Amino acid sequence: MGKRRYLAYAIRRLAQFALVVFIGVNLAYVITHATPIDPVEQSISAVTYYGNTAPAAIEQMRSSLRELYGLSGSPVEQYLVFWKRILRADFGPSLSAFPTPVSTLVTRALPWTVGLLTVSTIVAWGLGTLLGGLAGYDRTNRGLKLMGVVAMGLHPIPYYILALLLLIVFGFLWPVLPISGGSAMNLPQTLSVDFVLSVLLHAILPALSLILIGVGSWFLGMRALVSNVVTEDYVVYAELAGVQPWRILSSYVMRNALVPQVTGLAISLGGIFNGAVITEKVFGYPGLGSLLVDAVYAGDYGLVLGVTTVSILGVSVAVLAIDLLYPLLDPRVKVR
Amino acid sequence: MSRTRALLLVACVLVPQLLVLAGSGHAQGIPQNIPRRELLILENPEGTIKNAGWFNIWAINAGSQSNGLQQVALDTLWYIDPESGLDGVWDNSLAADKPQYNADFTEMTAKLRQGIFWSDGVEFTADDVVATVTTQIKNPAMRFSAVLASNVASVTAPDPTTVVFKLKKPNSRFHANFTVRWGAVWILPKHVFEKVEDPAKFDFNKPVSLSAYVLSSYDPDGKWYIWQLRDDWQRSSLGRFGKPGPKYLAYVDPGPPDKRVIAQLNHELDVVHDIAPEGMFALAKQSKATRAWFKGFPYGHPDPTLPAVIFNTQNELFKNPDVRWALALLIDIKAVSMAAYRGAATISAIGVPPTGTHPATYHQPMEAWLREFELDTGKRKIKPYDPTVGKQIADMLRPSMGEQIPSDPADIARAFGMGWWKADPQGAQELLEKAGFAKRGGAWTTPDGKPFTVRVMVEGDLRPVMTRAGTMIVQQWKQAGIDARIDVAQGTLPTRRAAGDFDSFIGWSVETFGGHQDLSYFLDSWHSQFVAAPGKVQPLRNWQRWSSPALDGIIEQIRTVGFDDPRSIELGKDYVKLAVKEMPTIPLMAYNVFTAMDQTYWTGFPTSDNPYANPVPNWGNSRYMFVKLKPAG
Repeated sequence: MGKRRYLAYAIRRLAQFALVVFIGVNLAYVITHATPIDPVEQSISAVTYYGNTAPAAIEQMRSSLRELYGLSGSPVEQYLVFWKRILRADFGPSLSAFPTPVSTLVTRALPWTVGLLTVSTIVAWGLGTLLGGLAGYDRTNRGLKLMGVVAMGLHPIPYYILALLLLIVFGFLWPVLPISGGSAMNLPQTLSVDFVLSVLLHAILPALSLILIGVGSWFLGMRALVSNVVTEDYVVYAELAGVQPWRILSSYVMRNALVPQVTGLAISLGGIFNGAVITEKVFGYPGLGSLLVDAVYAGDYGLVLGVTTVSILGVSVAVLAIDLLYPLLDPRVKVR
Repeated sequence: MSRTRALLLVACVLVPQLLVLAGSGHAQGIPQNIPRRELLILENPEGTIKNAGWFNIWAINAGSQSNGLQQVALDTLWYIDPESGLDGVWDNSLAADKPQYNADFTEMTAKLRQGIFWSDGVEFTADDVVATVTTQIKNPAMRFSAVLASNVASVTAPDPTTVVFKLKKPNSRFHANFTVRWGAVWILPKHVFEKVEDPAKFDFNKPVSLSAYVLSSYDPDGKWYIWQLRDDWQRSSLGRFGKPGPKYLAYVDPGPPDKRVIAQLNHELDVVHDIAPEGMFALAKQSKATRAWFKGFPYGHPDPTLPAVIFNTQNELFKNPDVRWALALLIDIKAVSMAAYRGAATISAIGVPPTGTHPATYHQPMEAWLREFELDTGKRKIKPYDPTVGKQIADMLRPSMGEQIPSDPADIARAFGMGWWKADPQGAQELLEKAGFAKRGGAWTTPDGKPFTVRVMVEGDLRPVMTRAGTMIVQQWKQAGIDARIDVAQGTLPTRRAAGDFDSFIGWSVETFGGHQDLSYFLDSWHSQFVAAPGKVQPLRNWQRWSSPALDGIIEQIRTVGFDDPRSIELGKDYVKLAVKEMPTIPLMAYNVFTAMDQTYWTGFPTSDNPYANPVPNWGNSRYMFVKLKPAG
């Protein structure tokens, strides 16, 4: 592959990336602003329990809040202000947690989500891929066969059912693990041993629920891929040539079958920035998913846009990275 | 040793260690480094607080109120308890006496206590009250700005213990703004806020406390807040009642109802704010340490609010009282009670919640009038009131609940309510026909020939009990031939309700003090002067947008009568009679809050046997509970 051809491809791909992000953010802007929830009315509703107020005074409060929240001005003016802010990586203040900047809320939630999902995604991927590869290669192993049955059984279970089961088992019947939060109460969030241990302990149940479902999915995918690869001529030839089975598995089978799995992993890692909405809600985990749900209910445009933009960027960057790296790593991929 | 065996050996050593660590209490929801015998753990029903470090309650919508801030850190002039109170329902808190009005109620004077100090050592004075009012009037985006700007012409402090409010118009209930029912206008520290450039953007972190506790620590992710008893707790208004029992209070987000049940069964949540009836039943059955408001069925604490079918009376279909009455007669309240609360509801036929002192003040005295009340269906006169409905519900539950169901009529009335309207499909049919509706092929049509469609707006899973009530009512109306539908508002509720974008809504527009006879807290906002034009946003509690010259007359008379004047009860009864005749909302029941209290570590919680305070822990009044709590064992 020529350097010039690759450079042209990369530039084209970067332009596509910018376009996708632009369209995605715009869509998010339009959708959030089309919601019937009005954050100003939500706020006013919060104070209507206090005494009797003349409609004129309420109207004054309404216009003050519109001004304060940056919702005054025509739709076009608001849209232009939005893009000015986006280009400065500033999503403005959260409306439901005014005046805290959206970026502060997102930055606070991000490490929890990234930490939990990165580890559980990689662990699920690693275990599922390894075991799926072995199961696809050695169809006679009883343990791996059983694992296939377990994976088939786990895969279709709705996530929240498994999460609730884990909660009941480890939170009530055998209460050894924390069922809520990211760390123990009244423990300063510093890099102390106590805090780190507490974070790990609190992550066990949410991570386990993600891993159990994830492993099944990766396992089944990898087993199917390996099942195809083992029938390829070069694998049969290697077997006939007396190459060691472990070497056939690692160098001939797994490496070739891994390519789609790696793509899937990259996209999954990009998707981390969506947050794990159900996980975080069920386990009360302080991440982006919980933040997003609360923001939607509150009609907090700025916060919804902040989280969705991070998510759009995460997925788009992951896909961009795959597209840019593949032609360099895989000789079968050609750019035109 | 093979590699596998070595790994197994390592696992056998490490896994038990991890489990020991997990099971040691390090793992579960107990704050670290605080002795459990000094700590009370309560639910903050606001959940996880996004803006955890925000304590400026005077700014709108910016942080948590029920994280202990309004219960144990802030204070105001007066409190009214929805139950009997520690020393009567009325408590002069920062005030030294009751509010004093001039003859025409255009001026209110508040005398203040001496010897009350902010937690930073500054003495509380009248200047703090004046600053509370003026700061908010100057900043229209602050929480109490609109109500204060509407009412206050001027506020002055002639001396450090006297505040004089000159009002823009006569208002015999102005003090209600500074009287805690659930919350109130909290007093802000002048010495802190006078140094702040923009009070609406000031986080007030760390908060300076005026009550018995100060902030000890909080979770930046908004899951928990811990408050510590002030060393100088005697210098707070609560100090008059003795030393609060718990040295520490943790207000936490325990998660959804199932997790609240688990947490209390594990003795990690002493006070559950509210759970579904089924959760309460499970706790009552499985935990010997759990106590609710009622010792047995129906368990829940009846809030001084009145869930009802609230009609949008600006909708043409619901302008006619005959139509509203017809819909009332198509409801079987027993089925609604079972659907919503599994029978654990306290029903009310009149527009006053059957809570606190109200049954004695309104429900019982009006019983005779209700029995004689007649409706003209156009074809005949009927007496729709059935005084035995509460008893019928008790009888219906007795086979399954056994001895938990009281047999004494007074206890039945207290737990399940008194009478309600008989389900009367024939009466309903006659009323609809009188209003010009017609039944064709089993389906009702409106006077202009269209299908009679009623959307019943509910909050969805945000308030499941009311959603279940609404679903049952829809079913009953459908069976009668009305095209009734559930309309789930979920997060859009505040916007839609305020805009009048609903036919009917299951919720409440009646909120009372509970422990006090006065109904003006909600009633004054029903005056037609506050009713918005169709399509415009309706402020305050008159969601039904009901305006009536007769009601205006009653409200205007109440405004000229003192808060404690017995005449206000008579005017309250006039409202009840008018609301029965007009039926702008169909009253259903009290909003029962299933507050569960675990007595493993603390005893002395308020209950129906000892109703000294509202136990629901997000109410400002719940602070009185802390001075009665004692360590168990």
